[in-house]
Amino acid sequence: MSALHPFSLLAIAAALPAFAWILPAPGGALATALVALGLTLTPGAGPGSTAGWSTPGRRPGFVTFRTALVSAAPFWLFLLLLHDVPTMVRMGLRITTMVASFVWLVAALSPDRLVEAMVARRWSLAMAYLFAATLSAVPILRARARRIVEAQRCRGLSPRGSVANRLRALRALALPLVLSALHEVDERTLALETRGLGTGVRRTPLAAPLDRTAERAGRWALLLLCLAALIWRLA
Amino acid sequence: MKILGLDDVTFWYPATANPALENVSLDVAPGDIVALVGRGGAGASTLLLIAAGLAPRVTGGRLAGSVGRGGRAGIVLPTPWTQVSGMAFTVWDEVAFGPANLGWPVHEITRHVDRALERLEIAPLASRDPATLSGGELQRVIIAGILAMDPDLLVLDEPTAELDPEGARAVWRLVRSLAGEGKAVLLATSDVDALPDVADRIVWLEQGSVRAIGAPSLLAEDAMCEAGLGTTVAGLWRAAGLGAPYPLTVVDAVQRWR
Repeated sequence: MSALHPFSLLAIAAALPAFAWILPAPGGALATALVALGLTLTPGAGPGSTAGWSTPGRRPGFVTFRTALVSAAPFWLFLLLLHDVPTMVRMGLRITTMVASFVWLVAALSPDRLVEAMVARRWSLAMAYLFAATLSAVPILRARARRIVEAQRCRGLSPRGSVANRLRALRALALPLVLSALHEVDERTLALETRGLGTGVRRTPLAAPLDRTAERAGRWALLLLCLAALIWRLA
Repeated sequence: MKILGLDDVTFWYPATANPALENVSLDVAPGDIVALVGRGGAGASTLLLIAAGLAPRVTGGRLAGSVGRGGRAGIVLPTPWTQVSGMAFTVWDEVAFGPANLGWPVHEITRHVDRALERLEIAPLASRDPATLSGGELQRVIIAGILAMDPDLLVLDEPTAELDPEGARAVWRLVRSLAGEGKAVLLATSDVDALPDVADRIVWLEQGSVRAIGAPSLLAEDAMCEAGLGTTVAGLWRAAGLGAPYPLTVVDAVQRWR
């Protein structure tokens, strides 16, 4: 799947949640959730590397599938506390579709290909970078959190045990994570600026991803299907 | 002709009352290698950010005085992992990130990137994922990324901090070679022992102000040694109670003994 044009990946990841909310629940939402979860199992969907940015296609899809499930699970819990069971199922399936689509997109879409595709379509580089950096933030933060956990363990902090222990550990993990991320933002801004990100000149696409006619047609078809479903539901 | 001219520059970071730099004047011409030395907080990094055109434009803050630039500047910051674009899966692409942002034609980008990789002796790493590199290798990739943009003024903040001694020597050789081609280099380093062979001028910064500017022999003067900023040989000579003037390098010391 990661060989698809980045815009096609974005279109699929946007269309699934749209269908989940438009189509009647629970049938429609169940179908979209299953498709989204199925996508997380496809080859090429794998979470980012440990070194700071995403590397699609490096890890088995099952990890992505598990990440999607684990990320969606708390929503089900809150829905159960707030609503009756039918509402929980309806909303839960829709939210699962959204979460699984996003997790799949982060795993399957490489930021450099997205930037190249957007630049080839004459988007501003800063906007393209902002978009791609948002997607690559998840694996970056995961990798950093892992390093902080290791460092804090070396200093005797145990993130396991009683609830009080875990809460203490959470504070010791969250604070360095947030502070280091903020510090890095400053330095990265300076580095990107000096490397020409803010020049306003049109970037030279080095390897613009191939956008096949069939894929373009597929994206239009998805949009038309969404509109048709919306009209059908509103009618 | 000047590549950089600072005239009575004072700079305040946002929401601070005290200036990080105060009344600094400095000229850098093509082919010059100017080294800033000072203790932590002396203002060297701030001066480099101003020279690179990033302060106050990107950092915010307020600048008084005037700054003149005669060409494009590129800065290498001390921590390589915060400078990777995050948008490249090979070293070649990472180095090409800057030149591509300048909108150069592909053949021009290729020429500059290949040359920069060769100069930093990292051509064999071209197809490697930057995520798999050591800190030293990554530092060289970042320097190559700036060099590939063909800056007129190269600004280096602790460029050898992540490098092993041989890597550091290679970078200093490169700096001399770039200056020989007419590039101006402004750098800050704590590797003062390398400066007698590298720098043309030393700028001693103290609490945001220029305390002295002079030839590398400044690094053997008593005041600098007392501040802990002299070369190791000069410091040892002074600590041993031997008389001034102190030798700057091992070669100087040997000649003095004879």
